[in-house]
Amino acid sequence: MVATQSGDTRARVIRFFTFLGGIYFFVYFVLPEPLVEELGMKAHHEQISNGFIVVGSMAIGLGLFNLVRTHGARCVFARPGWMNSLSLLLGLFVTVGVMSLQWIHSMKSSGEVQDVQMIGEFASKIGDDARGKSGIVDPSTGVVLREYASQKLGKIALHIAGDQEIVADVAHEVLRKDLASRIEDLRKDEWYLGTSSDLSALTLFTQKSNELASSYSVLMQAEASQATIQRLYNFLYDGLFNQLGSAMFALLGVYIAAAAYRAFRVRTLESALMMTAAVVVMLGQISFGKEIYEEMPAIRQWLLEVPNSAAFRAIRLGAGIAGLMLAIRMWLSIESTSFSSEKK
Amino acid sequence: MGGLEHATPGILLVLIGACVLLYRELSRGSKGYVHHIRRIAGVDAIEGAVGRCAEQGRSVVFTTALTDVGPVLFACLGVLHSIAKRVAQYKLKLQVPQYSPEAMALVEDTVREAYREVGRANAFDPESIRFLSSEQFAFASGYMGLMHREKAGAAFMFGVFAAEALVLAEAGQQVGARQVAASVSPEQVAFFICTCDYTLIGEELFGASAYMSREPVQVATLAAQDRFKLFFIALIIVGVFLATLRQWMPELGGYMPHLILLKDWSAFGW
Repeated sequence: MVATQSGDTRARVIRFFTFLGGIYFFVYFVLPEPLVEELGMKAHHEQISNGFIVVGSMAIGLGLFNLVRTHGARCVFARPGWMNSLSLLLGLFVTVGVMSLQWIHSMKSSGEVQDVQMIGEFASKIGDDARGKSGIVDPSTGVVLREYASQKLGKIALHIAGDQEIVADVAHEVLRKDLASRIEDLRKDEWYLGTSSDLSALTLFTQKSNELASSYSVLMQAEASQATIQRLYNFLYDGLFNQLGSAMFALLGVYIAAAAYRAFRVRTLESALMMTAAVVVMLGQISFGKEIYEEMPAIRQWLLEVPNSAAFRAIRLGAGIAGLMLAIRMWLSIESTSFSSEKK
Repeated sequence: MGGLEHATPGILLVLIGACVLLYRELSRGSKGYVHHIRRIAGVDAIEGAVGRCAEQGRSVVFTTALTDVGPVLFACLGVLHSIAKRVAQYKLKLQVPQYSPEAMALVEDTVREAYREVGRANAFDPESIRFLSSEQFAFASGYMGLMHREKAGAAFMFGVFAAEALVLAEAGQQVGARQVAASVSPEQVAFFICTCDYTLIGEELFGASAYMSREPVQVATLAAQDRFKLFFIALIIVGVFLATLRQWMPELGGYMPHLILLKDWSAFGW
């Protein structure tokens, strides 16, 4: 009795939220665009849509749980095929581990680049403030910026020295030299040294800082592409995952031939028609077809655009209407037993 | 033509019409009116395929492939429910490899419910609903492996398919499974016709569930969609007639049915 009541409540909650989710998108679709904008729905629509996507993406956890449960149990109880399950789970965890480390590494790199970009942004902000005060630069903020810039320049110089020992190829050497010269240039800057504090000197300093940040970003990207974790990621994703996917896709070539052989055996009027159409389309596609009959490409085009399109449209129309009806039924939860504990 | 972000008044009217039709058919169904459903050979073959598995002691495989949560999935679930009930009655093994984790939760619920309805709730094995991968070809290779390991006697492929359709269907062919496919993807229908024993085309997928279950709600929906389709066919015929007439009377240009449907709210002062 208690279980039935909780089941009914669950069903009601699901129906309520299904209706609520549906009515939002229905109202958004049926209302005229100016009215949607007036009601403020347009401004939040993307966020709401993204919210639905986020909720949906939580289901990935379900998939992960299912994989671990199914294959974990097979490994633990040494059921037949446990070696395959073990390799799947190892592959899963290694990939998750490598991708997480790669993400952490890239976040760290971009954080360091952002710190350096901050010099230019800080200087630019000081310049903007000064322009609002008849060109007078606030000396106290200037001191803070110089200190910050000095600290970061020292850090970049140290990074370059450390990097030299790790990555020693020609491309990196060029980037390092460029960055070192920019650091030196910035260290000799009049505004940085404090010998000039006017707005034009600050503008020049801002420009140099931005250029330095951009060079540093290029070096960091080059370094990241050479990092061990990135190489491991490339090996797993580009080297294995994508290649295995391509291999599966390549199987289609063989399968199409096998399927065509079965389908094109002329046993009935329909299969004869199908084979004739296929031969005409294939001949129309290749230059040899034109040698046989000049109008072959035109016949191919007609077959694709007229009878083929008509059939496609008929399928799409029927499926679309059926989908619409089912969608209305789902939205209004006019269902029989799904999600519900109301048993027959 | 790209999709519309907002309905035009014409489309709003059509939507209201769809709701009214559905309501009418549901009311008739609730009053006991029984609609006739024409025989669909592919759906009849489903029962035969499951029966063949029972004779040979082989497992049944059902996949919704790339179908995400939406109307197509719900149509597939109706068929899965009927198949799972028969599988449970015949004490067969059912495998439902999954591509979409979101759909997996619904699939599991449907199969569990089917087992419960025939009084064999304890026989339901959650491991039979197996998540393979959300990557198209990784899923296809997982499905191939499953078919070869299980030597399935019947394979049902219902839903949305893309380039992996032929890979899945060929895997079934290789193990000699009786195959029934149903797809709303017109591009894949040809591949299924070549490789499967029976193929349901487009809306037949939606009709299959009603045909198998004869549940009044599903049958009423089927009736409503048929009537709605008749309306569109009439619209197309009128459109063809008017388009032909426009060749002699160009001033009819603005009165084409599709143009009237697509006239936006600005024409009504919005």
